[in-house]
Amino acid sequence: MNHPFQLVEIAKPPAAQRDHPGYLLAACGSKLLSTCLATGNVVSEWTADVGSGQVAVSNDTESTHVGGSERPAKKQKTGNASLATAPNVIKLAISPNHQHAVAVTDDKCVRVFEIHAEGKLLELSQRTMPKRPCAVQVLPDNATIICGDKFGDVYSLPLLLELKAIEDDSPMGSTESHPPQQEASTPFKPSASMQTVHTKRNRKALEAQLKQKNLTPKSKAPLQFDHKVLLGHVSMLTDVAYASREVDGKQRGYIITADRDEHIRISRAPPQSHVIEGYCLGHREFVSKVCVIPGTDLLVSGGGDDWLGIWQWPAFKLLARFDQMRALLHDLIAKTNGSNVEDQGNDKEPIEQIAVSGIWIVPATGQDGTSKEHAVIVACEKVPALFYCPVSKLLEQDAPWNLRQFRYPILDITSVGTTTLVSLDVRGEEQQRIVAYRLKMQSSGGTDFQCDEETNAKLMGLDCVPSDIVDAKGLEDLLYGAASLRKRGHQDEDVAEEAG
Amino acid sequence: MPGPPKKRQKRDEKQDGDMPQKKYYRQRAHANPFSDHDLTYPESPDVMDWSQHYPAFVEQSGNTSIDKDRKSEDQNDASPPKMSKQIEIADIGCGFGGLLFALAPKLPDTLILGLEIRTSVTEFVQEKAKALRSQNAAAGLYNNISCIRANAMKFLPNFFHKAQLSKIFLCFPDPHFKARKHKQRIVSTSLNSEYAFVMKPGGKVYTITDVEDLHLWMVEHFEAHSSFERVNDDEVEGDVCVEVMKTETEEGKKVERNDGTKYVAVFRRLKDPPWP
Repeated sequence: MNHPFQLVEIAKPPAAQRDHPGYLLAACGSKLLSTCLATGNVVSEWTADVGSGQVAVSNDTESTHVGGSERPAKKQKTGNASLATAPNVIKLAISPNHQHAVAVTDDKCVRVFEIHAEGKLLELSQRTMPKRPCAVQVLPDNATIICGDKFGDVYSLPLLLELKAIEDDSPMGSTESHPPQQEASTPFKPSASMQTVHTKRNRKALEAQLKQKNLTPKSKAPLQFDHKVLLGHVSMLTDVAYASREVDGKQRGYIITADRDEHIRISRAPPQSHVIEGYCLGHREFVSKVCVIPGTDLLVSGGGDDWLGIWQWPAFKLLARFDQMRALLHDLIAKTNGSNVEDQGNDKEPIEQIAVSGIWIVPATGQDGTSKEHAVIVACEKVPALFYCPVSKLLEQDAPWNLRQFRYPILDITSVGTTTLVSLDVRGEEQQRIVAYRLKMQSSGGTDFQCDEETNAKLMGLDCVPSDIVDAKGLEDLLYGAASLRKRGHQDEDVAEEAG
Repeated sequence: MPGPPKKRQKRDEKQDGDMPQKKYYRQRAHANPFSDHDLTYPESPDVMDWSQHYPAFVEQSGNTSIDKDRKSEDQNDASPPKMSKQIEIADIGCGFGGLLFALAPKLPDTLILGLEIRTSVTEFVQEKAKALRSQNAAAGLYNNISCIRANAMKFLPNFFHKAQLSKIFLCFPDPHFKARKHKQRIVSTSLNSEYAFVMKPGGKVYTITDVEDLHLWMVEHFEAHSSFERVNDDEVEGDVCVEVMKTETEEGKKVERNDGTKYVAVFRRLKDPPWP
């Protein structure tokens, strides 16, 4: 059994030759592979190390405190799991100048790589975040990482650590930017007093607290590296994007965040990230992905609704909706069931609920074969098909959205030149896991996916690299997280209560 | 389970216009703001129907009945009835509504909304507002207050437009004593950005608590936030709302009875800085 590639990105390091097609960075479990698209050779293979930096340290301290009265850490599971198996790569981003790659592993660690001219990856740093990141991006300054976590906080980190910070682990650099709640260990003093608690039981509890002289501080050690909290949601954060636009001849930066409670928030970029400019409201279910269309003021959003939103984000206005997701999927199912009777009833069950798992902008060629266009591509979790539409036609009355069927669900997409690389959830040996296509617009308004055989030949080498050990349950969790964002209606809760 | 149904029954026995009794509406004083409650909230402030809450402030137009017919035919496109005024004051965590009922006659032309996460407490405030309206029908008082069940930590921008509010009250919020629970506090750097969003520049946030630690926390977080400045003591002293907040809130009275200290702090929403 093979482990599919959960993430793909293209890197074209500036030091490489100008006509070099670039390197494909593909994450396979805990591995990160770099493949030269000119030769097809796998030039670099990196594996996340087991239990890194701060994680290991915190495990040690935990074991020494076993006898103590301390409340057991809530999330011990992740710490122990990372000791047993290498952490998976869960996010991957390339700096705009293609000199660095940032990978997030599921031990909450942000790792920065230098991309060498010949495609090799060199790990420069590891920084363990307080919570597991769910989105990461390098800003256009090529010096700042923004990183959002499920708990709703968005941080900025310098891409490269300063030498001083590496040499001595002095927390000096971070003191200024710490959120105020992280205080040094001060002697315990209960914040309640006899005036503020009134019931008999609460007063008893307070007395007990006062007797127990100095409790060990329970708050975790502050982060040992430079970081800033830019903004936060109380709701679960799902995606973060950076956008910029020119106003009065000056570039203005924005941070766009999406959450499980249907919000898309537009904040100013640092240093004014405390200013919320507005919200794009209209989704009825969770928003899992937002994608800014470069060179426009448009934003495509999707999540648990069976429609996609096309927003003019600076005005917080919904310009268009693509409502036909369900209809197109049903047509496709009907068609495949009709033409292929044998397959019927096997794995082709009607799509019950939609969970958008990815939105990408990829290149396409115009009808004349040369002119350049772009297309929006949207994947839904566990659905072996992609929705797509030319960017120039998104706002038309009946935007020519189409659905292209694949044999496997789509995990990630990236593009290089005019080629789009699609990573499929292939777990057997029967097909390449990453397939290259060229998108060509049809005169009918639709777009064609044509196999890019030349690039495909270069991707053969990737399949020869021995795959990680596959743990089927773990793989499901790694690849498919969006559907679980749907809120359980209270009917479900009622059923659960009756059962229990 | 003898408790709840009996209470519910007692609530229903009340005649229209009678004041609701608090003892039938009591509910545990803590709610987890991070869990998904079965909340109803509008997808955006534009589609929120306030006409049920402030019937006296619905904009009168000649052909309302026709409008209503049309609305029931296609509900999706219908916009809610227009209001002659927008809500300007929000009491976040209004509890049994002491502040609302005290402010209502003092600011009869200003719409005031209480937000409360506990269902039955919300019901109590709505019932009491109804009763007070019918008792004071001649004077036309208490038409300007209402209460909704909402999680203000998550859904404030679903109810209010940018720069809509001139005052926000945070009266005796849950102190969340344990350090582990501090992120559930109603004041935090990230939540302050949301308060700033729904507030007019020059608007004020009023905070009061009997827990010194929480008071210091709130002062620290508002002062650290670039969208707020602390209002000086002289201005606070002269503010009618501060007096009402101190003496009329349910918790305020309780603290008084128990000889506790009340810590007050008021913060002004500053203008957004120019873009760099």
